[in-house]
Amino acid sequence: MKENNNVLEIKDLCVYAGQKELLHNLNLTIPAGEVHALFGPNGSGKTTLMMAIMGFSRYQVKSGQILLAGKDITELDITERARWGIGIAQQLPPAIPGVKLQQVLDYVTAANHQQVDNVGQVAKAADMERFLNRDINGNLSGGEIRRAELLQLLAMQPMFSMMDEPDSGVDLEALKVVGELVNMLFSDDPVHPARRKAGLIITHSGNILNYVHVDKAHVMFERQIGCTGNPAIILDTISKYGYAECTQCLQEGV
Amino acid sequence: MKKTEYHPNGGVSPELNALDQLDPTDTAALAQVGVLTEGEQRAGTLILRDFCPICIPNRTEGLELLPIATALEKYDWLREKYFWKAVPTDLDEITEQCASQQEVYGYFAWVRKGAKVLLPCQAALYMASDNITQVVHNVVIVEDDAELQLVTGCVTHQNVYSGLHMAVSEQFIGKNARLINTMVHDWGPDVTVYPRSGTFVEAGGCYESNYISLRPAKIITSNPQTRLIGKGASAKFLSVILGVEGSMIDMGGDIYLDADDTTAELAHRGVCTGGEMHQKGLLIGNAKCKAHVDCAGLLLNVGEEGFILSIPGIKAHHPDARMSHEASIGKLAPEQVEYLQSRGMEEREAISLMIRGFLGADIDGLGFELEDRIAEITELAGHGEG
Repeated sequence: MKENNNVLEIKDLCVYAGQKELLHNLNLTIPAGEVHALFGPNGSGKTTLMMAIMGFSRYQVKSGQILLAGKDITELDITERARWGIGIAQQLPPAIPGVKLQQVLDYVTAANHQQVDNVGQVAKAADMERFLNRDINGNLSGGEIRRAELLQLLAMQPMFSMMDEPDSGVDLEALKVVGELVNMLFSDDPVHPARRKAGLIITHSGNILNYVHVDKAHVMFERQIGCTGNPAIILDTISKYGYAECTQCLQEGV
Repeated sequence: MKKTEYHPNGGVSPELNALDQLDPTDTAALAQVGVLTEGEQRAGTLILRDFCPICIPNRTEGLELLPIATALEKYDWLREKYFWKAVPTDLDEITEQCASQQEVYGYFAWVRKGAKVLLPCQAALYMASDNITQVVHNVVIVEDDAELQLVTGCVTHQNVYSGLHMAVSEQFIGKNARLINTMVHDWGPDVTVYPRSGTFVEAGGCYESNYISLRPAKIITSNPQTRLIGKGASAKFLSVILGVEGSMIDMGGDIYLDADDTTAELAHRGVCTGGEMHQKGLLIGNAKCKAHVDCAGLLLNVGEEGFILSIPGIKAHHPDARMSHEASIGKLAPEQVEYLQSRGMEEREAISLMIRGFLGADIDGLGFELEDRIAEITELAGHGEG
């Protein structure tokens, strides 16, 4: 059998929330070592796609497949998907009263002492130490939430990481820190910075792309991936002509 | 260990060490509620097994822990100044019945002026036989500038299904004295429990009450009365309760802030997996004071019958009384559970962590004793989920 070099493969995925179709026959492939950007207007289904890949119960897969490194994970629950190597940094993660960020980090790093030290150092470098013993996601600013989410992913070291708008609600200074954390997550080998882990980043503004290289970009509309191509060109087109231009593309079947 | 003797009539000598009268199922039951039967981690121990007091002599300076009957014989002033002085005999049917008892069972803990008892002192009210009525009367005196940590365990043997437990507790905390009373309850499913408690706190004194109920009785109604009578006295109440199907738990707590600069905090935390849970509390501001009452409940798969009713109350008679209350009832939101699952936790692990977080949220300085009990509640509550 041919070795599968794709970290993520999504085939004809249809996702519903209740009676409402949120994703329609969506296809997406992310090869090993590539990080992709995901653009799209509000309501096009970007967040739904990420949440469905992670397996959140609100998002029901009606048909299609999700493969992680060739393994069909469509039927697995969230815990199993996380343990197989998927990680997510949500845009608006829920606050959980009484549960501390440190407790989650401790859980994630329980089996790996080396990782405990690494996470401790990252927390210090990212000025996150004071949040460790506070309620997770409670009363945090946008930038603080981004950092807290990324810190957890850094502790988990997923094979495939997803981030929902890591640049929204973040000021320029904080964005630099967020960018560094994202790069650390994807390139954990400082000797070979080009040897990267795979990932998917949702961004509206593209601001994060000033700090993080992406290999490809996709544009979502109307519950599908409409366009795939060079990230700089796509971002350029969107900023000049808006999403209408891309819609054109989709309608012409280019 | 010294030779042991049983004194079924309650007139046991405190000089006798009778702990090895207890069999392993007894010690297991007692350990469940934080009462240790070996080791040196306690300043004093008194266990009432059904009607038989078992007392370990304590050599802690300034502390005296005795069966109440022995103490009443030994100290005339006890009856004159303290016995039935913080709880009136005619409060209700329960107190009337307690007052009419021929034999008096219970414990007496007395810390003399200025003595600071470093290790916790423990008392157990233990029902080892099925279907008995245990009536007890306890008195705790912490004199001026003294300190005592008291661990009170109320528990039934694993084979005890039903019974009735009535308890009057009177506590007197002197000037600048401090009493921390941690009560852990673990009852058989058809046991009825009526505690009646009264506490006086003098100027600068401090009373902390922690009540933890692991396995609830069929019925528990408790409404401890606390009077802060001296300037700067304070009281802090915390109850952590697990309610299950078929149980009726009514936890109150009235705190009278009668002197200037008194403070009171009353917090109820309940996890309801069935049955009725009433969370109450009334703070009465009669002077320049500061007080807050907070009831928080978590409903887990309660079915149609289960509920939580929260009624935090504040009443001010003085313009400088600063008082506040809050109450909330919620459930574990699926998106919270799934968030933790997305970090690799099993659903049950996530639920346990959240219940633990809920019970301990916003409560500082839980000792390890409480941490352990809360971990148990978390474990027990988690069984109903997932």
